[in-house]
Amino acid sequence: MIRVLLYTDTLVEGYIILITGLLIVFGGLILLTVFFKYGLPIMLYIYKIITRGRDKKVKDISPKVNQDFTGEIAAAISVAIHLYLDEQHDEENAILTIKQARKLYSPWSSKIYSAYRNRL
Amino acid sequence: MKKVILIFGVLSLLIFIKPLLGFSANTASATESTLISQTDSIVEKTFVDEAFDGMKQFYHFTGFANAQSGNLIMILIGIVFIYLGIKFDYEPLLLIPIGTGVMLGNIPFVAGYQTGIYEEGSVLNYLYFGVVKGIYPPLIFLGIGAMTDFSSLIANPKLMLLGAAAQIGVFATFLGALYLGFNLPEAGAIGIIGGADGPTAIFLSSKLANGINVLADGTTVKNLIGPIAIAAYSYMALVPVIQPPIMKLLVSKKERLIRMKPPRAVSQKEKMIFPIVALLLTTFISPSALPLLGMLFFGNLLKESGRTERLAETARTKLIDIVTIILGVTVGASTQADIFITKDSMMIFGLGALSFVIATAGGLLFAKFMNLFLKGDDKINPLIGAAGVSAVPDSARVVHAEGLKSDPHNYLLMHAMAPNVAGVIGSAIAAGIILSFLG
Repeated sequence: MIRVLLYTDTLVEGYIILITGLLIVFGGLILLTVFFKYGLPIMLYIYKIITRGRDKKVKDISPKVNQDFTGEIAAAISVAIHLYLDEQHDEENAILTIKQARKLYSPWSSKIYSAYRNRL
Repeated sequence: MKKVILIFGVLSLLIFIKPLLGFSANTASATESTLISQTDSIVEKTFVDEAFDGMKQFYHFTGFANAQSGNLIMILIGIVFIYLGIKFDYEPLLLIPIGTGVMLGNIPFVAGYQTGIYEEGSVLNYLYFGVVKGIYPPLIFLGIGAMTDFSSLIANPKLMLLGAAAQIGVFATFLGALYLGFNLPEAGAIGIIGGADGPTAIFLSSKLANGINVLADGTTVKNLIGPIAIAAYSYMALVPVIQPPIMKLLVSKKERLIRMKPPRAVSQKEKMIFPIVALLLTTFISPSALPLLGMLFFGNLLKESGRTERLAETARTKLIDIVTIILGVTVGASTQADIFITKDSMMIFGLGALSFVIATAGGLLFAKFMNLFLKGDDKINPLIGAAGVSAVPDSARVVHAEGLKSDPHNYLLMHAMAPNVAGVIGSAIAAGIILSFLG
């Protein structure tokens, strides 16, 4: 049976959208959370099994990443590198005068042999 | 040199000779002749009178003659925007273009000469096209994707939920707008202000409240793009003012001192897989958000793939800059006083402030709720819940600053970035859902 509402209250519809919308947003992000919590490690583990060396056993490859190496250490290292690279400059000449560049004649750059000569 | 003088001489000679010979085929000389006939008929008028008439005519075209109080108020608001951007450094990259745009859009002019942003064929109208059709927001998202580092989110996926929790602001505002008498699509567009994401807000309002769509009962929706975009961007800029009081109210001193363990290092493989998987999952859930989420994760893939550094570099610098400039100015200019200063705009501003408060509170309270289930050093500092309202990266910075106030050695920035970027994803999904319900 299909009920046809002649008059739908916008507020009622609003509440429906409110609840379903929130549920979907949460659902979507929970799905992402679950995937990155459990799915991704499994995927990486499988990838390791596929790409392992011939005489290595799966057991030897730990799926755990090095726990001691935290993001903080990585951040510290990258900041250090960034600062170091920031310090580096080329030796630049401070004198800013425009010199006439001496152009040597070459048939490659000659106007006489330009490609569009015949069109004009 | 001789040749140049010769050519110039011949050209000028030709130009001077032309009218003498009667080659008056072009329109310019035609109008000239009519002008001459006019002056002939009113030859009694003295030269001074005519000059005075001309001045009068000129005056009627100036801004001084056409200025209305609304224009002046909006210009003042534009100047305030620029002042806020320069003086307090509140998102100057947005406020200064928008402030200038507000001034541009409110220079009084005589209608009908293709000057204003709402006049068909004017230059500003062409640039505004990208706003009305929702072209700019996805391009901005491409740049944001190429800028964003999702690693703190990958390291601690549960923080993703905070980004979802803050979206309660979107739906609460949506309901509030319905109570105030807006119809469904308008309310949906207003609600997205709570997502604290300028591009998303513009995208959604350009689809729902664009002044073109016709509802089932025959009424046309209002054009609310300007007010919504301005509200979203100005409250985003005011995040450092809005959020701290709510944090103080809802998070106790003890909770603010919680130190979170540093996130683990994330491998490059994980970073590469993230945009692909997230793209597939989120767009399958909410296909209407495809332009936003697709571009966001595409940009991120460009960054993380390690092979397309050039493209990523362009997306996160030149491209996003160009689009931001045009978007800022046109959104600012769309606030033309006769269209902007209405009761609706005032209500939208009120709802916008409310939505930021609710979103922040939602994030904070959900973080406290999550803490009930977490033990030991897994506990999260509830302050980072406030970063769930996207507003990248300002809200994360505010969280960091607030954390430092309570404990000068508690660095929360990295942790706060996780809910922050999750908030971007969350608000884009929310926009997609609203669009699919009401579009």
